[in-house]
Amino acid sequence: MAGGSREIKNHALIEFLQSQTQNVLHRLYTRPSACLAIVRLMSPFERQLVMNLLWLEQPLETKQVTSWVTLEGRSAYEAALKTLALLHILPNSKENMSLHSSFKTGLRNGLTGSGDIESFGVPALDVGFEPLSPEELDVYALERWDTTLHFMVTSGTGEASAKPSDGVLYLLEHSGLMRNDQGRRIINSEGFQFLLQSPHAQLWEFMLSYLRMMAEREDMDMVDILGFFFTLSMMQIGQQYSNETLSPTQIIMVADLRDFGLIYFPEHSTTVFQPTRFATSLTSHMQSISEAESKHEDGRDGPHGFVVLETNYHIYAYTNNPLQIAVLNLFVAFKTRFSNLIVGTLTRDSVKRALINGITAEQILSYLVAHAHPQMKKNNPIIPVTVQDQIRLWELERHRVKGQDGYLYKDFGSMNDYEVVVKYARELGVVLWENGAKRMFFADAAGRVLIRNYIERRTAI
Amino acid sequence: MESASHLSIIIDFSPQQWHSSSSNSDQGPFSLASFLPQLFIFLNAHLASQHENTLTIVGAFPGKSSVLFSSNEASTEADADPKLYQPFRTVNAAVVQRLSEELESLPESTDAPIALVGALTKSLCYINRLVNPQTVSSTTQNTTLSSAISPRILIFSVSPDLSASYIPIMNSIFCAQKLKVSLDVCKLYGPDTVFLQQAAHLTGGSYLSIHNRDTLIHYLMICFLSPPAVRQLMAVPTEDKVDFRAACFCHKTIVDIGFICSVCLSIFCKPTPVCSTCRAKFPMKSLTRLKEALKPVLPPGIPEPSPIIDSLPDTAPALTLPGGVGMSGGGKGKGKASQARGGGQYPPLHLGPMGMEGPPNGMHHGMPPGGIMPPGMGMGGMGGGRPGPPLKKGQKRSMNGMPQGMMSGVGMPPGGGHPQMDWRSMMAYPPGTAPASTGTTPTPPPPSR
Repeated sequence: MAGGSREIKNHALIEFLQSQTQNVLHRLYTRPSACLAIVRLMSPFERQLVMNLLWLEQPLETKQVTSWVTLEGRSAYEAALKTLALLHILPNSKENMSLHSSFKTGLRNGLTGSGDIESFGVPALDVGFEPLSPEELDVYALERWDTTLHFMVTSGTGEASAKPSDGVLYLLEHSGLMRNDQGRRIINSEGFQFLLQSPHAQLWEFMLSYLRMMAEREDMDMVDILGFFFTLSMMQIGQQYSNETLSPTQIIMVADLRDFGLIYFPEHSTTVFQPTRFATSLTSHMQSISEAESKHEDGRDGPHGFVVLETNYHIYAYTNNPLQIAVLNLFVAFKTRFSNLIVGTLTRDSVKRALINGITAEQILSYLVAHAHPQMKKNNPIIPVTVQDQIRLWELERHRVKGQDGYLYKDFGSMNDYEVVVKYARELGVVLWENGAKRMFFADAAGRVLIRNYIERRTAI
Repeated sequence: MESASHLSIIIDFSPQQWHSSSSNSDQGPFSLASFLPQLFIFLNAHLASQHENTLTIVGAFPGKSSVLFSSNEASTEADADPKLYQPFRTVNAAVVQRLSEELESLPESTDAPIALVGALTKSLCYINRLVNPQTVSSTTQNTTLSSAISPRILIFSVSPDLSASYIPIMNSIFCAQKLKVSLDVCKLYGPDTVFLQQAAHLTGGSYLSIHNRDTLIHYLMICFLSPPAVRQLMAVPTEDKVDFRAACFCHKTIVDIGFICSVCLSIFCKPTPVCSTCRAKFPMKSLTRLKEALKPVLPPGIPEPSPIIDSLPDTAPALTLPGGVGMSGGGKGKGKASQARGGGQYPPLHLGPMGMEGPPNGMHHGMPPGGIMPPGMGMGGMGGGRPGPPLKKGQKRSMNGMPQGMMSGVGMPPGGGHPQMDWRSMMAYPPGTAPASTGTTPTPPPPSR
């Protein structure tokens, strides 16, 4: 942790926030829920720095703050100052340090529950029907999510699968994960890479595309959008919330996010909604969604990991989930299918097919590790070395041939002509290939003009 | 990716102490009612730091301890409030409700001591369950999740030391060390407690005595919020002066001079003919010599050295005293054990922090000796020494607090089976040395290293 901390990348959303204007950020910080959510997304060091400064009324001398930091913490400290300055939370100053007042007030209100901004969602009371239980919400959210992923993975194969809603389709195209090919949607290489990421990373990538898309729309206020987004992430699963206090922009978001599986509301209701675990775990780190997923699968598919890979490239996947099978199908040649087991092999062709689709060897390996069967997790390394190496070698094969633009010079009148021109080209250092017997040579495109001029000058003589 | 952290909070709810704290004027009155809001903000900050952070709150009451809140158990659902993050509300409501129940049920007057040890062991048991989930049930637990938890314990203390609880506290410390739990101590009221100082010191935690209690929240945020990983990067104040005195096993009083059974490492305030813990017998000759030895080192009027290591002269570390200084004991009648240690410069003294002779071989205090050492090895002396020693500030101690290499001096003489008895002489503090209060002044924040 100490050593690796300097390589820790900022959360993707922090980077998105940094691209917002100061005005937007300061209005956002008046919402306690936004402050709390942002604090969670920070690195541990940044968070502690903010907490240390939070209860100070007077600015603190920078020297004094620096004296807290240990020798190992220097680089983390520098990085934290930079990030916080870009977020307009801690203005960069040589002498004094003090949190920006809007953030300070917002976070204090968040922690103490004071202030009068109702930013944690207004609970709906007496709606007249029972809310869904957290388990039911998990099922609902995963079904939505799986539909989207399954649609992506089967696109272009001609296999029919349930179509997600128009909002999702639009976002898929807008984010560059899929392209529209004369009415048919085809998955892009980014889309293939997307499929192999962890669910949490997928969710965030999707959400960031959504935020970018919303940001492009002129008629919407970014503070409204981000504020609702953070409110959502701070809501409690199982609780019903009222949308009466939401702005028109936010009402549109509720409908959109329902398509993605972050929010649930019944068809007949327009006034209440429930967040799903996808929404409430946005600010967590990884675990909650996979937790939900494994809980969900417990009844049907056993534990989370389901893939067994042997040294002879055979793959046994204990699953009957169409999405998981479809994803595996991206790089596995299947042979046999049973009701709860599917058997296949990693072959050169199957892996190359995936590589051509833009999936990298690293992504295949990390997918296999992430979904390894508990039995296989006992191995060290988890994936047999031979298989790892072979997948990487297959990837390298693709880089064996290197293209270079150039011109072929042939049909020289005499051997003498050929040799003079080749000699000139060699002096320029542009000859890539030559064959004296056939009086041909191939030279790099960079030397084309010079060689042509040279030949013209010679013929002119 | 950063890992979740678990925080166990132990709060000392001694009615007498809180009452005197709220009426005490020299530090400014500070009542439970002004403490709880600041505590809740701190708890909120912990929960806010990360989605997966968990929390246990254990209250120590007179004669009993009880869990006030635990993240893993479903607790009373509080009504949602649009102005407050729901988990904050749940925790606060649950704690207030349980606390008022507990306080109501307290008897009118009680002499029962505060069950701090009970609370501490409850927290440790709970942490053990978090760290080793597979022993609890066979249900599929995500083991990678649990191994990533970094647990901590934070003790809010208002009561003075209870010398009777020395042994259980020490054992809890060893347990915490084993579980890699750091113990933080926040002393809200009253004199510094020696045992908790040692607890914080030995587990790598931070001990802080709060003087300006109106700004408690600020202290809490700076010193106790950060998980261990962050503390490597951003320093928190720690004690650089720790009172290492121990309590004797016979009368449970904190001693300046202790006598250690060299077999089982039990501590006594007076030389005894038989070790009450392991029944090892010591020869009469050594006993009388030791009793005599006590006298010459206790003349009145010697300037008071303090037991605090920090204040000791900065000499080169030495595990034995130069012969004759402040100790008695001649080298007659010693067995091979002493000769083996070389040179008749006898007896070696056990210097350095008292009370730190934790079991070198993992044995806990109060345990009967293992079969490896036959009884009758004689008693070793221990003490922090006036002329002494030896631990320079910042010098590394071994895990159980002893200077490296000291173990051979304490209780484990070579030639373990030798039948001859051997009293080793004692080192003593001069009289009047080192009341607990000479101890320690915590560095107030902001911390600096």
